[in-house]
Amino acid sequence: MQKELKSRQLYLFLIAFLPFSKLFTMPSILAKHANEDMWLCAVLGFLLDFITLFFIVKIMKKTDKDLFTILNEKLGKTATNIVLVLFLIYFTLKAILPINENKDYVEMTLYTLMPTMLYFLPFFIICFYFCVKPLRVLGRAADVLWITSLIGIVILFSLSFSNSDFSAILPIGANGVGKIVKGWLSTLTWFGDSVYFLFFIGEFNYQKSDDKKFFLCYFLSALMVVFFLIMFYSVFTSIASRQRFALTEISKYTTVINNIGRFDYLGIFLLLFSGIFSLSLPVYFSCRIINRLFNLKKTWIAPLITVSVQLFIMIFLQGYSYSIESIITKHLGVFFLVIGNLLPIIISLFAVKEKKYAA
Amino acid sequence: MQIFSSIVDNENYLNDTLSSDDITLLKLPVGDKDGILVFVNDLIDKNAVGELILRPLSKVSGVINEKDLESAFFSPEKAKVLTMEKAIEDLLLGNALLFTDGFDFCLSFGLKHFEIRSITEPPTSTVLKGPREGFVECLPINVSLMRRRLKTPDLTFENLTVGRYSKTPVALCYVKGIADEKLVKKIKDKLNSIDIDAILDSSYLSKFLGEHEFSLFKQVGNTEKPDILAGKILEGRVAIFVDGSPIALSIPYLLVEDFQSPSDYYNSSYSATMSRIIRLLSVILALFLPSFFVASELFHLQLIPLSFLLTIVNSIKGIPLSPSYEMFFTLLIFEILNEASVRMPKYVGMVVSIVGGLVLGETAVNAGIISAPTLMIIALSGICLYTIPELEQTFSVIRLLFLIVAGCAGGYGIIIGIAIFFIYLISFENYGTPLCAPFAPLIKSDLKDSVYKGFLSELQFRPTSLKNKNKRRIKIKKEKN
Repeated sequence: MQKELKSRQLYLFLIAFLPFSKLFTMPSILAKHANEDMWLCAVLGFLLDFITLFFIVKIMKKTDKDLFTILNEKLGKTATNIVLVLFLIYFTLKAILPINENKDYVEMTLYTLMPTMLYFLPFFIICFYFCVKPLRVLGRAADVLWITSLIGIVILFSLSFSNSDFSAILPIGANGVGKIVKGWLSTLTWFGDSVYFLFFIGEFNYQKSDDKKFFLCYFLSALMVVFFLIMFYSVFTSIASRQRFALTEISKYTTVINNIGRFDYLGIFLLLFSGIFSLSLPVYFSCRIINRLFNLKKTWIAPLITVSVQLFIMIFLQGYSYSIESIITKHLGVFFLVIGNLLPIIISLFAVKEKKYAA
Repeated sequence: MQIFSSIVDNENYLNDTLSSDDITLLKLPVGDKDGILVFVNDLIDKNAVGELILRPLSKVSGVINEKDLESAFFSPEKAKVLTMEKAIEDLLLGNALLFTDGFDFCLSFGLKHFEIRSITEPPTSTVLKGPREGFVECLPINVSLMRRRLKTPDLTFENLTVGRYSKTPVALCYVKGIADEKLVKKIKDKLNSIDIDAILDSSYLSKFLGEHEFSLFKQVGNTEKPDILAGKILEGRVAIFVDGSPIALSIPYLLVEDFQSPSDYYNSSYSATMSRIIRLLSVILALFLPSFFVASELFHLQLIPLSFLLTIVNSIKGIPLSPSYEMFFTLLIFEILNEASVRMPKYVGMVVSIVGGLVLGETAVNAGIISAPTLMIIALSGICLYTIPELEQTFSVIRLLFLIVAGCAGGYGIIIGIAIFFIYLISFENYGTPLCAPFAPLIKSDLKDSVYKGFLSELQFRPTSLKNKNKRRIKIKKEKN
């Protein structure tokens, strides 16, 4: 049977979409908690995601059925719906901060002359349009966007390299385990991307050695973010915690900029382009869940609901954006940990165990 | 309706149905019977009528039966027609019909002859190296041009007629064993379902063959060159010829096709790749240069280097229009000039180009109505757009849209606009083939003839983006040392 996705698209998915959301306010929050050890917090986050991915890939190897079918078979309809509702809440919450910080970034750094939220609103149109599309469009987007993400990051890395003082991150671990763990817990909303892979189960033909390629691409993607964080702290050092929109600032002091203008914006625009899709991902998967929960035939209803919810949060809770950020980073870390990491691991263990029993 | 066996009934029917002065009904004896020869004066080769019908007819005498009548003529295109509808259709295509009293059929002779344009190099795709032949408006000649290139019994033509009044002959052309039968059937079904007064050009058909009615992008490929079409059908595409049109259609269409020029296949891979990269960059410049310039001027001044910014500031001093209006009106004038130069007679067109391009532009800058950078950007964008003439119309519209978006929402608006087009393009499929293949979905093997033009030895397999059969197209034998 013709599957919606190819395994190659999933490797590229990891490179195309994963790094983006971690490049805005997350570095400054990490710096606030763990200073020069901020990158270790990210390593912890990635490590946990890697373990989750490892378990999910184990199910991918063993079954051809999609997540919804697996859950239905193993748990029954009611329990499946409960799990799906949990994931729906998770994705809805997971989308809030990245979308809001992106709005702030666009508003405050790109439109310095006349900042207004209106410039960011078209994002919701595209988010809606993207969410209406089937899974194969997501795969095709990954086929192209990994290049834009990669070029964008390479441009920023190469421009900011000369301004970095890498000795700033030494000595490693000086802040202690407590601060590192606190930093890690407060940024869990930006991690937990492995959970997307649960929704890819059964949507592609698993081939031999796909697991190695998944892990390699995940490693590369994580490496890019960790390297960005190291560079971020090496450039900004003591003022790192105040750099909420580091993308625009990190490479602007290089001498090349003086000669040819803000060349770094090319990289930023490329990243923002990939970012539109990256930010839409939680909303996209929310739509898939809603479609499945309510068995909706019209593809536009779920996107309309999910996008409206995000739009509502952005417009009406704009004045409380810092409070929302504070709630999500300080109090919801455990929730993200449980739904984004533990639940997928439990599902995969359960699925694998049942399979053995059936055999 | 069955043909009458009485010649009087047939004559009356023909007189009633075909009351036009250019149709000749010639009464003549056919052996011991009466007969009528019917033809359209200006569509028939009269010498051939004499040689192939009248001369053999003069030798027929005595009582004749059906067999005698059929064996009396040695015309290469002779057919027995049983219904009046088919007889009239043949007549209007340029055949001569012979009705004989006592027989409920007529003989149809293919003796058409009319003036046609000679085979010339098509103006839309000229090449420095490579074949210069182009299709003409005559379907049989176009068929012969294809046959000359592909001398294989697998090259198949299927004839259809489309158009209620025009009865336009349409030919489907494909290579059996390479083209997907399902695709051929689907196209044939689509063509058969078309109910329209007339098909005056192949572009009429392309509108019907597309699966997305309101698409901004092309859905059917086209070419005027037999060598290119031969290459396309050897990749598994199906071609469609329309009588009266020098442009052959091909399905499925990939966006990347229009970035490939005929000359790419006759030049070295290096220069072909270089040309394709230039074309791609040109399109990017053409589409986004005006909009990004406006966005930078209005919203993101930091994007412009300081020295260039000073030049811009000096040049826009005193310009009464805002950057977006200025760019928009300059683009509008460019489009008007473009339209006028295409429509006007050749000699006047030259004058329009000079007056419009040089005099108007120069005067407008000197008068302080538009700035020199704006004029330069529009000129550059205009030139760049013509590196892909096939997509010029589509891209003109998109450029204008992006310009409006840039004026309203700046750089992020442009990015959102690109993303919308991106999603639209990657989800676009026609006849089960993704428009953006081999990039989205990424098909590694097909990238060898995309922006990069691979060496011949790399192109051993047909593109997998197209659902073709018999994948291998080149077998390279390695010499043993």
